[in-house]
Amino acid sequence: MNYTVRDSTPGDCKDIMRLIVDLAEYEKMPNEVKLSHKELEADGFSSNPFFKCLVAEVPEEFKSKEGHTIVGYGFYFFTYCTWKGRVVYLEDLYVMPEFRGKGIGKALMSRIAQIGRAQGCVRMQFTVLDWNKPSLDFYSSQGAVNLTATEGWQLLRFEGEALEKLAQNAN
Amino acid sequence: MANFILRKAEPKDVSDILRLIKELAKYEEMEDQVILTEKELLEDGFGEHPFYHCVVAEVPKEHQSREGHTVVGFAMYYFTYDPWIGKLLYLEDFYVMKEYRGYGMGSEILKKLSHTAVKTRCSSMHFIVAEWNKPSIEFYKRRGASDLSSEEGWRLFKIDKQYLVKMSSEE
Repeated sequence: MNYTVRDSTPGDCKDIMRLIVDLAEYEKMPNEVKLSHKELEADGFSSNPFFKCLVAEVPEEFKSKEGHTIVGYGFYFFTYCTWKGRVVYLEDLYVMPEFRGKGIGKALMSRIAQIGRAQGCVRMQFTVLDWNKPSLDFYSSQGAVNLTATEGWQLLRFEGEALEKLAQNAN
Repeated sequence: MANFILRKAEPKDVSDILRLIKELAKYEEMEDQVILTEKELLEDGFGEHPFYHCVVAEVPKEHQSREGHTVVGFAMYYFTYDPWIGKLLYLEDFYVMKEYRGYGMGSEILKKLSHTAVKTRCSSMHFIVAEWNKPSIEFYKRRGASDLSSEEGWRLFKIDKQYLVKMSSEE
């Protein structure tokens, strides 16, 4: 069964949103998805995009049970490490269950690695949930290092009320 | 000594920024990992599509440091994207020189950044902290930050250059 990996277009946003929700369900947090496909379109396809997205597409004759031909995506953007320079950050990587085992995930990731290298990136960074064994194993096999375990990095955030409160007294 | 200003970094600030990056790396016990140069900082921060944004804290000449510096603190950030909620502000580095701590500079920098986050419609500010860095963790938690590594199980991963090259050639 063949597939192609390509850059997404504004017209793909409905499908990308569908897959984002699928992945959130897998991560046991489907109610956390507040974004609409319209916002995704505005934020990803303007003159100053906040992210880039690759999609994996299959021909019509191999479409999914529900009739979809966009079966996977790789969502990324560029960040910066003050020690080494440019970094490519892999935000989301997902392939629909019925299309797994065919190398699509690896192909998406390889293309993003290639794009990162072309932009002079020194590494790829991403987060994985500690219970997600299939993904932990997959990334390990590609040479990934768990920085939380080896260096003790913890991910923190300020959001909602806490962020507003912090901003209130800014000059 | 109480007065200082916070301002957007300019190209002329790159050597001070690199100096402070190295000081922070030393505090994090990883000084020899900094291989970034002033030239790269200049290109990556002040070109057509900057990879980062930077705010610096400056004191008047009469309060310069022992070595004669007036730029005594900085914060580097960039915009990332969460497919569930949209734009985020990512705080990459945040540091105030030892002799200038306790005057509220750190708090003011954080307030300014959270104000930027709210102004640019970011839903959240994210950052990482080393788990042994108790003073910093307390500083952030006092201001309402949540630890996503403990609360949700996120682990930070990296894939270094040699594996990116391997992956991108395996397509």
